[in-house]
Amino acid sequence: MTDSNRLAGLKARPKDTSAATVSKAVEVGEKMGFVDRSPRRKPGRRPGPATAQLHPRIKLEIADAISDEAAERNMTHGQFSELMWNAWKESR
Amino acid sequence: MPVIVVASPKGGVGKSTCAVVMATEFARMGADVTVIDCDPNKSLSRWAGRGLPARVTLVPDVGRSEIVSAIQRSDGDGKIVIIDLEGVASQLVSRAISQSDLVIVPMQPTALDAEIGSEALALIREEEEALGRAIRHAVVLTKTNAAVTSRVQRELETQLQEAGIDVITPSLVNRAAFAELFAHGGDLTSMMKNRALTTAGNIKNAQINAQAFTEAVYDRLQ
Repeated sequence: MTDSNRLAGLKARPKDTSAATVSKAVEVGEKMGFVDRSPRRKPGRRPGPATAQLHPRIKLEIADAISDEAAERNMTHGQFSELMWNAWKESR
Repeated sequence: MPVIVVASPKGGVGKSTCAVVMATEFARMGADVTVIDCDPNKSLSRWAGRGLPARVTLVPDVGRSEIVSAIQRSDGDGKIVIIDLEGVASQLVSRAISQSDLVIVPMQPTALDAEIGSEALALIREEEEALGRAIRHAVVLTKTNAAVTSRVQRELETQLQEAGIDVITPSLVNRAAFAELFAHGGDLTSMMKNRALTTAGNIKNAQINAQAFTEAVYDRLQ
């Protein structure tokens, strides 16, 4: 008998995959220290939606002017940059 | 075809080696083999990444919540499913055992391995009772010395046999070729064709060992 003939004799055996059966196995395991060790989510605040940062090198006086204007409008530099970008797009 | 689970809550006992040896030998015998990698160290995925032998399929990164469905999807006539588990006492282990036809517990011939490995044997017995079905299981001694049987090994074999635990013979001998499988991928036959790897004699002896071990596993699947 060839190897493949021998292996053909091995048939799939039905397994009980019901939640009740798996729960029984888990329950028995937990009593013996076989507990859930899947990696936990890192603690702390989830990261917000993806944003990008620009680090343009610009002249000092322009940087100061942008910073002052953003402060006056109670905006972050990023928010002010977006505002300027939209204004420039509209002006084209 | 059968689902074979390789389990021990202790790391470094040779679970992945045992899984790769069985997968490659059963594939060489003509079976379609699916190996499920549940080990966070991804030993099987690393091996597969360097080249999978014909007839072997890998299912990588399977965790606690996916294990039952992964086994269900892979199981079927004409297929052997081999599951390499993580080396810790976890729910993943108890879930996999609940779906197995044969559990193999690799153990190095040391007192520590025997003590920690026995926790897997105890879990199988408890699951048998809870699930109301027999779960065939056997211990295989791993990384044994090819030339000499140590006193500890003899004592361990005697203790296991006295406790009525099935011990697979031959053991898996500590051979460089088994370790090199993970560095080169594929199987021992493909390694033998590459003479630059190790001497053919070493690989040949490893292959004889792998074949005899897999035959002994096959006997337990019928």
